[in-house]
Amino acid sequence: MDMVFQLLFQGIGIGSVYALVALGFVLIFRATNVVNFAQGEFSMVAAFLMVIFSVDLEWPYWISFLLSLGGMAIYGALFNLGVYFPLRHRTYLPVIISTIGASILVSNSTLALYGPQPQVLQPLLDFPGFNIGTVYLDAQYLLIIGLTVVLVAFQYWFFEHTLLGKKLQATSQDKEMASLLGIPVATMIMLTFVYSAMIGGLAGILVAPILFVSIHMGGTIALKAFAATIIGGFGDVAGAIIGGLALGVIETFGAAYVSVPYKDGFAFLVLVAFLVFRPQGIFGERVAEKA
Amino acid sequence: MPLIELKNVSVRYGEIEALRGVSLSVEAGEVVTLLGGNGAGKSTTLRAISGLTKPASGEIIFEGKSMTGLGPEEIVRLGIAHVPEGRRVFPGLTAHENIMLGASNRSGVSKDQIDQEADAMFDLFSDIRPFQHVLGWTLSGGQQQMVAVARGLMAKPKLLLLDEPSLGLAPVIVSKVFEIIKEIRRRGTTVLLVEQNARMGLSVADRGYVLETGRLVVTGKPDELWNNEDVRAAYLGGHARTAAKA
Ligand SMILES: Nc1ncnc2c1ncn2[C@@H]1O[C@H](COP(=O)(O)OP(=O)(O)O)[C@@H](O)[C@H]1O
Ligand SMILES: [Mg+2]
Repeated sequence: MDMVFQLLFQGIGIGSVYALVALGFVLIFRATNVVNFAQGEFSMVAAFLMVIFSVDLEWPYWISFLLSLGGMAIYGALFNLGVYFPLRHRTYLPVIISTIGASILVSNSTLALYGPQPQVLQPLLDFPGFNIGTVYLDAQYLLIIGLTVVLVAFQYWFFEHTLLGKKLQATSQDKEMASLLGIPVATMIMLTFVYSAMIGGLAGILVAPILFVSIHMGGTIALKAFAATIIGGFGDVAGAIIGGLALGVIETFGAAYVSVPYKDGFAFLVLVAFLVFRPQGIFGERVAEKA
Repeated sequence: MPLIELKNVSVRYGEIEALRGVSLSVEAGEVVTLLGGNGAGKSTTLRAISGLTKPASGEIIFEGKSMTGLGPEEIVRLGIAHVPEGRRVFPGLTAHENIMLGASNRSGVSKDQIDQEADAMFDLFSDIRPFQHVLGWTLSGGQQQMVAVARGLMAKPKLLLLDEPSLGLAPVIVSKVFEIIKEIRRRGTTVLLVEQNARMGLSVADRGYVLETGRLVVTGKPDELWNNEDVRAAYLGGHARTAAKA
């Protein structure tokens, strides 16, 4: 039984990371109707920024953390201006290809700068964790879960209780109508990219001490996040969170009870199963958010 | 000086010439209706005014200034609100939220004030008051139309563009919508109203224009238009005569 709790804890921890990335994914999808294939690189770039600031330059950890998040805000803005904005009046296809191009460019630039060997990042907190009974609560996982809860609560408040949040929702539902009302659509989309890059980056920084920091981490994380959005129902914000958590738990239990080397395989197994048997996701179509 | 003036405006969609040299004007305080059959170019005229569609040639002058080159976000800030065809209520936002967003063109207004103004809208649109916290997609066509008009009024427009507010509504609801248009008129807002329903359009208007395949064909006071054989033939089902004329 303790084993179950232990795995559940770890699964929710890693699932929170997937949930954050999936959330960024969904927000961009809803604002632009485009799947961003360079979403995973948000996490990778942020992790490498952390390596630059805290390992290479040896700056204090929290300063590096804030600088990296600030860097991701700028990265998100540049990404919008370079990858999406010039193609905003085109169909989704050129934009998707543009994001794939950006993904290749960014990971290969990183490869050129840092080489293929993975980098190591220390955990954010100094103390390792503690036991409750025989269940070991790792501090990094606790931090991930805690920050995810805070962020999700903040986002809920922001979208439901601020005028800016409503304007962002309106933009994602009908851009032409939003512009007719005087909502600055380009600015709304810019904000979406900035926020999405920041939460994707936060996920990357948080997961970096658990995984290695490598140019491949973006691709892995993006695929997990993509699977999470399929599980939760594509384009659904709450679904992305639930899907991310579910995927983290499934893969952790799969690794423990079935096979460790195939850990990443479970994500794809679940993805394929959902696409075949329940393509509308756990909750099914939400008319409210389609129409 | 008219509040708004279109001078020789032409609009093309690729090969299709949707408007061919349309010139019209609306004086401050007037309600003007733009009539015409399906595909005549009525919506295109409104889209050209609100900046959704760029004219290929011609000029649109608002309060004496040319609006050439302005986009919809800037035009609504000048005081032109466009309630488009099909209502376009945000499906995932409530009626109240939809209406609040109508004030997005006004700067320096607090959220509380917008909230109160949106509440006050339900005095004029009392039918939708019970549905104010319901999501847009669940509203009926008539309710959505009222939300759309209320949202347009929240912009405090000098000129309100209404595109076929009666489209697809039951007759009872149509008369309710037109009661509201009459009230808007009483309050002094200038309105350019697009209608296929000539009788309803003319019933609230000071003047009317009739569009046919991208050209203005007749203009006049409601009773002049109403008593004009050609207009009646064209818009009250006398297709044979229109065809013979063309
Ligand atoms: N987005 C568009 N692309 C191509 N043609 C269009 C478009 N919108 C309208 N049209 C064409 O322009 C003409 C005028 O359309 P519209 O202004 O919508 O007419 P109305 O509102 O009077 O029914 C029609 O022939 C229509 O098919
Ligand atoms: Mg029309």
